[in-house]
Amino acid sequence: MPAGRTVEATMLGKLDWSAIPFDQPIPLIAGAVVLVAILGVLIWVVVKGHLPYLWHEWITSVDHKRIGVMYILLASVMLLRGGSDAIMMRIQQAVAYQSQGYLPPEHYNQIFSAHGTIMIFFVAMPFVIGLMNLVVPLQLGVRDVAFPTLNSVGFWLTATGALLVNLSLVIGEFARTGWLAFPPLSGLSYSPGVGVDYYAWSLQISGVGTLVAGINLVTTVLKLRTRGMNYLRMPMFCWTTLASNLLIVAAFPILTATLAMLLLDRYLGFHFFTNEAGGNVMMFMNLIWAWGHPEVYILVLPAFGIFSEVVSTFSGKALFGYRSMVLATMAICVISFMVWLHHFFTMGAGPDVNAIFGIASMIIAVPTGVKIYNWLFTMYGGRIRFATPMLWAVGFMVTFIIGGLTGVLVAVPPADFMLHNSMFLVAHFHNVIIGGVLFGAFAGFEYWFPKAFGFRLDERWGKLAFWFTFLGFYVTFMPLYVAGMLGMTRRLQHYDVAAWRPWMLVAAAGMAVLTIGVICQIMQLVVSIRNREALRDRTGDPWDGRSLEWATSSPPPVFNFAFSPDVRGEDAYWDMKTHARQQSLEHEVPEYHDIEMPRNSPTGFVCAFFATIMGFALIWHIWWMVILGGIGAFATFVVFAWRDHDEYVIPAEEVARIDRINLEERRSLVSMAGAL
Amino acid sequence: MSDQTHVPAGHDLAPGEEEQHSVGARILGYVVGLALALLLTATSFFIAGTDLVWQPSIPVALIVLAIAQMGVHLVFFLHITTGPDNTNNVLALAFGLLVVFLVVGGTVWIMAHLNQNMPPMDQIMPMRK
Repeated sequence: MPAGRTVEATMLGKLDWSAIPFDQPIPLIAGAVVLVAILGVLIWVVVKGHLPYLWHEWITSVDHKRIGVMYILLASVMLLRGGSDAIMMRIQQAVAYQSQGYLPPEHYNQIFSAHGTIMIFFVAMPFVIGLMNLVVPLQLGVRDVAFPTLNSVGFWLTATGALLVNLSLVIGEFARTGWLAFPPLSGLSYSPGVGVDYYAWSLQISGVGTLVAGINLVTTVLKLRTRGMNYLRMPMFCWTTLASNLLIVAAFPILTATLAMLLLDRYLGFHFFTNEAGGNVMMFMNLIWAWGHPEVYILVLPAFGIFSEVVSTFSGKALFGYRSMVLATMAICVISFMVWLHHFFTMGAGPDVNAIFGIASMIIAVPTGVKIYNWLFTMYGGRIRFATPMLWAVGFMVTFIIGGLTGVLVAVPPADFMLHNSMFLVAHFHNVIIGGVLFGAFAGFEYWFPKAFGFRLDERWGKLAFWFTFLGFYVTFMPLYVAGMLGMTRRLQHYDVAAWRPWMLVAAAGMAVLTIGVICQIMQLVVSIRNREALRDRTGDPWDGRSLEWATSSPPPVFNFAFSPDVRGEDAYWDMKTHARQQSLEHEVPEYHDIEMPRNSPTGFVCAFFATIMGFALIWHIWWMVILGGIGAFATFVVFAWRDHDEYVIPAEEVARIDRINLEERRSLVSMAGAL
Repeated sequence: MSDQTHVPAGHDLAPGEEEQHSVGARILGYVVGLALALLLTATSFFIAGTDLVWQPSIPVALIVLAIAQMGVHLVFFLHITTGPDNTNNVLALAFGLLVVFLVVGGTVWIMAHLNQNMPPMDQIMPMRK
């Protein structure tokens, strides 16, 4: 090896000009467009002088509401990226009948891997974590989460992971292994490129962020509740948050350890999951699904919580069977750790093991069924308002039941042997993830948007978005069930079976309808921002809500509540409203106190900056840069640990001034309701 | 966040947070913990190399000592006790133990079945002879 190349290898590791895909127009053009868009936004921000505002109010913010909004923004942007992948795949399968289609195999494989990875880790996860961040402290009646700065670190590390995944579009390549990177395909001998390294390091870094968020939210629910907020008075969303984050804390270390072993195989010649030298690839499937199954409940439990809030609010009734709902949530939390083998029935564990795990998988449908009945009984006899969040909730119930039934079907081992890795399975998990998690995320988005920003979203566009997405979902994914029954396996780059063709064409048409749904969603945002004065929510309670987040103004002040609310039962805010209407409307003028709030901190952003450098360097074997990034991240932590001031005081007069504005609006609302 | 007035002072201690003991009592606690930890470690090393006990019992003894070691760490260093303010900590520990039991136990069971039914090619041949 010439000396020049050695110096380059030290400085740049595996990185050279061949990493940029000059010969592949699609990723290059997509990358260029994204780059131009990012640069354009950056230049606009700097020229308009918004940079100090962004830095002080958002990037360094430790306010749980701001961090929640940033999580949701990240998820929405990544939803567009993952959605583009989905459109490309549907078009490929529609045209690739007895031909190669327009995507070469190695590119198609990267697309379906990136689609799965992005949709689970960088859309669904940040979306539900964002909603939990935004809402849970408000519902508990507290001022912030337990560890505000840690919260910011968690968000920015998630963003780092998302950044690295998208970087793989233009520098190097992404994994071609599917979204869980099964060895031996993901081992060094079959995937020598940097794709799997991009996959593994972005998940390791964002996994730390997720774990941090999980610890934070568990602590918040267990330790920070306002006066009188017993466990059995918490809103359902807080319960599902608790369950979901307990699962994060218990399950994500398994993912981290499994990927760490895969990385040791790839970087240091270990043999955990190789074919030779005593490695066991079956252990990887076992471990990754021991994380993977709880993961689906990490995603869907918060969605269940959102639907509970939405159904109860828009039916004007307390949630039916609150205690059975709590019990069902916690039962799912535990049973979700007893079913993971159903993802690899066909690997050959034998009848005893398969039967036990099959039965456990059917049992976990029971608490979920309890929830469905509870929602139906909540609606029964209620005065139902079909606002957009409620539409998503009803759409969810119909769709999720179909997805759940096909799930129970594939939980039967003999049936699974027929359907394993077929399009039927693809249709099943999209049915529960889109119908459950995504519909839930959209319902929560529509429901809590007024709380976060102070104005409601346009109902007309919201309803259009719902109907196009709902119908588009059915047109896209029901044909995949049929194709699976006809024997079509997943991840096919091209095929020669004439019977599958029509179904692929219908699915592609469905994708077009789904795309219209997404456009409506964007239009809704644009139209609502334009008409924000007309849609302004002055009282802080636009939906006639029942839980404490509606007891404060929209958007809430940085300290959330001028006084810690006093909770006397379930549906805390509903009780307060009823109480206020019954009694005379005159409040005694409350006495305000100074409030201490955590100071903003750039720790999260700086930490993530160094983590990005470190992750990139690890992927490309640039060892000096790894050390640099590691030292930087650690130094940031040390500086934060040695800080002198971590809180600032909001004086009582300021609290009073902010609170009085909202109090006036609220009194007028109560007196109007009283006059009616 | 020092404004959590609804959390009564002195209650709800997190793991590692000191209870209201005198310095002497606390130091005594750590010393006892350290001594026990060292004793258990030394015993493990001794047992591993000894021929004083029945050989097949050695792995079992090591497992028992390791679990005892965990217990010492939890009680003396992480302050997980059965006191009234420790409900959350004990429940968290119980949940953790349950998950570890399910995942480790399930993995051992599954992998044993898989290894029996699906041995690598080179191991199938000797079995057929």
